[in-house]
Amino acid sequence: MVDFSRVQKELQECNRDINVSGISVNPKSDNLTNLIGTIPGPIGTPYEGGTFKIDINLPDGYPFEPPKMKFATKVWHPNISSQSGAICLDILKDQWSPALTLKTALLSIQALLSAPEPDDPQDAVVAQQYLKDYQTFASTARYWTESFAKTSSLGVEEKVQKLVEMGFPEGLVRSTLEVVGGDENMALEKLCSG
Amino acid sequence: MENQDEIPVEPETESSTFISAYEADDWSNYKDSDVMLQQSAIFEEDAAKSPFVGDKEPLSSLEAEYKSGSPILLEKIKVLSEQYAAIRRTRGDGNCFFRSFMFSYLEHILESQDIAEVERIKTNVEKCKKTLQGLGYADFTFEDFFALFIEQLESVVTGNEAPISHDELIVRSRDQSVSDYVVMFFRFVTSGEIRKRSEFFEPFIFGLANLTVEQFCKTSVEPMGEESDHVHITALSDALGVPIRVVYLDRSSCDTGGISVNHHDFVPASDDNDTSSSAAGGSDPNPNPNPNPIPFIVLLYRPGHYDILYRK
Repeated sequence: MVDFSRVQKELQECNRDINVSGISVNPKSDNLTNLIGTIPGPIGTPYEGGTFKIDINLPDGYPFEPPKMKFATKVWHPNISSQSGAICLDILKDQWSPALTLKTALLSIQALLSAPEPDDPQDAVVAQQYLKDYQTFASTARYWTESFAKTSSLGVEEKVQKLVEMGFPEGLVRSTLEVVGGDENMALEKLCSG
Repeated sequence: MENQDEIPVEPETESSTFISAYEADDWSNYKDSDVMLQQSAIFEEDAAKSPFVGDKEPLSSLEAEYKSGSPILLEKIKVLSEQYAAIRRTRGDGNCFFRSFMFSYLEHILESQDIAEVERIKTNVEKCKKTLQGLGYADFTFEDFFALFIEQLESVVTGNEAPISHDELIVRSRDQSVSDYVVMFFRFVTSGEIRKRSEFFEPFIFGLANLTVEQFCKTSVEPMGEESDHVHITALSDALGVPIRVVYLDRSSCDTGGISVNHHDFVPASDDNDTSSSAAGGSDPNPNPNPNPIPFIVLLYRPGHYDILYRK
């Protein structure tokens, strides 16, 4: 049974200093086991300027068992699955303790964005790129931040929709937009030249 | 109960079925996290076969366990049986030290009805709370655990109501929703004490784990299931002001050839006037009327595990 009175207190405490930390946690539904956390991308990283949403699921044993957390926002990072958003972080596994909170866990995830650990990867492809070709990694991560983690990323979605309406498959549209750095006209040109 | 009987791996390990399974499975599909999950599932399954706190057993049951084992251990158990009558086993889930301490302490209070001791420890618990607040822990992270311990403490002494029965104490100690909360309470107290006196503990921790004090507390004290060492025992004993005797049952033998069983008493650092005691330490001829109280908590240590011992 989740300790709901504790969860309530955690939400209050976390959202009290939201202006300082930029980190918030809010219920997704009214049952308090499904929550959404928000963390700002750390300054000076490819994630700067992005707002990342984290899906939080509280298991019955919370706070003895760690909260289940994964990125709901797509992110390009060695320790986060680019497919599923799964996070490789010790405190979300065997190093969890009831002394930690949802907020401290989110702060740790934010710290992970600042300091990737490519030697203990969640996403092997990203980790390889990080180690072998940091420049490409950084620009891809930045592009993903632009595309998925910014409110203006709605712009990207509009571009995608527009190109899809022209008859191109969505997957191809997205990958092409990514290759050309989000430029709609260049993407169209590329898509047409096939 | 990590005895030798459980150490041998499954016989299949060496059979051909295993090898073919090994080749058939692509191990690159297994992530570290999967392996970890599986491993902890195996540990949990093993641990779940025994209750958090077992029944009191005569010391002969310990002897039976080593019947075909090391002669040194059998000799030592014989020596033990001169002083000790019984053992109470705790689950080998990494929380055994804290769980043994919990049961042993509450059982002592239940049997002795030592109200002065209860008042004394409550004062220390209040200090521990202040320590954690001072270290920046949010109240809601620890208050439930503190409240539950105080509740258990009050339930074993005569107050407005009669104390709970010994059977009820056992039932509660086996109930995860009580037992784990009290274990976590002790983990908070231990962590707070170590961090408060980080200069004192630092050299021990560095020697043990090559970690900073804060890292050590985060990784080896506060998570459930992390095993306890000298550092934990010293800190808990000091913080609560409760002496603890640990009796060591291992294969080491004395140079003289005679068999003896070593023990170590963890005697809490005097916490009266913490600051003045060091300054006035030498000048006070009688700082403690009973400098070496015999600990009423006696734990049996076998490498990797703690159980409770009962004197004759």
